[in-house]
Amino acid sequence: MDDFENENTMIGRGREAVEQIVDPGSFKENVINDYNFEADCAPGSVVGTAVLDGKPVTIIASDAEAFNDRFPVVFGGVIGLEEGYKMATAVYKTIEADKDKPLAEKRAIILIVDTPGNGPGKLEEIAGMNKATGSYQLALAEARKTGHPIVACVIGRAISGAFLCHGLQADHIVALSQEFGTMIHVMPLTSISRITKLNIEILEELAKENPVFAAGVGFFYKLGGVQEIIEKIEDMRSVIIKHVNEVARLKAEGKGELLGPWGRGILGNERGGRVDRVKVMDKMKEEFAAVAGKYIGA
Amino acid sequence: MKKWSELKDSSFFDASARERAVGLVDKGTFTEFLHPLDRYCSPHLVVLGQAVEFDDGMVCGVGLLGRHPAFIISMEGRFIGGAIGEVNGAKMVGAIRLALTAAKEIKAKYPGEYEAKRPLVVISFETGGVRLHESNAGLLAHAEVMDAFQDCRHIVPVVSVVGSKVGCFGGMGFVAAAADVIVMNEQGRIGLTGPEVIEQEMGKEEFDASNKALVYRTTGAKHKYIIQDCNYLVEDTIGDFHKVLGEIAGKSMEEIEKMRRIGSIDLVREQQELVKLVGDMQPKDSMDVWKHFGNENPAALPELSTAEFLKTVKRRARS
Repeated sequence: MDDFENENTMIGRGREAVEQIVDPGSFKENVINDYNFEADCAPGSVVGTAVLDGKPVTIIASDAEAFNDRFPVVFGGVIGLEEGYKMATAVYKTIEADKDKPLAEKRAIILIVDTPGNGPGKLEEIAGMNKATGSYQLALAEARKTGHPIVACVIGRAISGAFLCHGLQADHIVALSQEFGTMIHVMPLTSISRITKLNIEILEELAKENPVFAAGVGFFYKLGGVQEIIEKIEDMRSVIIKHVNEVARLKAEGKGELLGPWGRGILGNERGGRVDRVKVMDKMKEEFAAVAGKYIGA
Repeated sequence: MKKWSELKDSSFFDASARERAVGLVDKGTFTEFLHPLDRYCSPHLVVLGQAVEFDDGMVCGVGLLGRHPAFIISMEGRFIGGAIGEVNGAKMVGAIRLALTAAKEIKAKYPGEYEAKRPLVVISFETGGVRLHESNAGLLAHAEVMDAFQDCRHIVPVVSVVGSKVGCFGGMGFVAAAADVIVMNEQGRIGLTGPEVIEQEMGKEEFDASNKALVYRTTGAKHKYIIQDCNYLVEDTIGDFHKVLGEIAGKSMEEIEKMRRIGSIDLVREQQELVKLVGDMQPKDSMDVWKHFGNENPAALPELSTAEFLKTVKRRARS
């Protein structure tokens, strides 16, 4: 459990991270353009507007210190029903705010990622937690395709479905290095060992060569899931600014396919971590081309 | 494998992924991509000394529903619970992107006929989400699917079909919800967190995962139909699913858009109403919610046949 004793860790410190990243004192919570959120709804989420390098940006984070009284499984940074929909609303309000602006002026969305999961409760399943997280992801995908640069910075926990919810729809993902206790995984190796009934020592040995199942920032880097690893906390701000600018430039050049989940696939192939994916899709393309006439001309 | 004419009256619930793929489209029209003979299987399972399947537990291909090319993705729960890894994840993304390719070609070659020939994506889910043996690749594939869904918006309808043994859970629970239309049989289940994990988090008094009836009431098709998360509840034959898919293929994009539950700020507002209701009510059981929506005797609903249920049920009013 060294991760939790790490004094340098940013786990549970999402609000501090926001202050360290944006222009000093610029973060205004619960405001996006002319829209004001009800302050007492969805306490596990933090949304608002800040200034980054002189430009307005939308900030979305989770609050690890908050408890949601109505939905008791939501604490410690968990994204629950109310949180997921509030985050989705923040994204739609961002799109709306800049809808008449040219591509170059569409504001960036910065995701500060430190979340252990989505609400795992009965109320969540009755109302449909799957819709709350899905809704937020579709909103981010729409914002990305509309031209807003989206950069996710993993400062702590990016676990499984919660990372899909809050992070994996960004254009670029950057992450604090493993040294800060950063966790990116679906399950720790011990749980994978228990469920798959594979020997833990064998798994640990295999993990050195194959990044596809092991927990860790470095493995996600090799798979293309993380664009850049940040070595120092002080560098978070400059690295995020750099990626916002790079993403904006690629969008201006019409190279959106290098960004987002699809771009991470390209990166994973280049870095040698996910090379079968592209072979599969190329072969399918070829096979469809051979029969396309029959279906298109039906 | 059964012939198409035999599949028509066969149980969807009991059918294999390949039977579903063949039977969901018109007779004799299915062409499979990456046929098992091509042996596109998971390289990661091999490394771990695990058994592989030559289709990696997913059947993808194209068929026809009338004049509409239907891109089929069908998951096999009997292979590692239908879980998603690098290869079958890529098959899924690849099939959705091919539907977009087909849409583009139809628009170019047959301008004016797009509506009549508009392709669609049909996904027969049977999965618990990410395959742990290659978890990181599986996770990244989920994000690519969501991204591809957004590309399909207003161009190519995406239909979720859920009615197989494993249900549709984990990350694929939100993928299914992100489609335009959801079709289920009575046995179908959709959720995010599996029942065992809920029990572990909340305690057995709050949620007993071994209580099958409770699990069905929480994630099953009848609950989904009442809260408007399921658009079509059909009888458990492949023929019934095929018939309703044919109807959906012929609908206008506007009609299809109206069947969505998430994907716009208006839909977020509508879902927030439901969340508020659940937060205020603190239901002990889904039946409390059914009663709120006007079902006077909610305990009787699980016992009804699909036809009887459809006749009597009251659903959440859509705003």
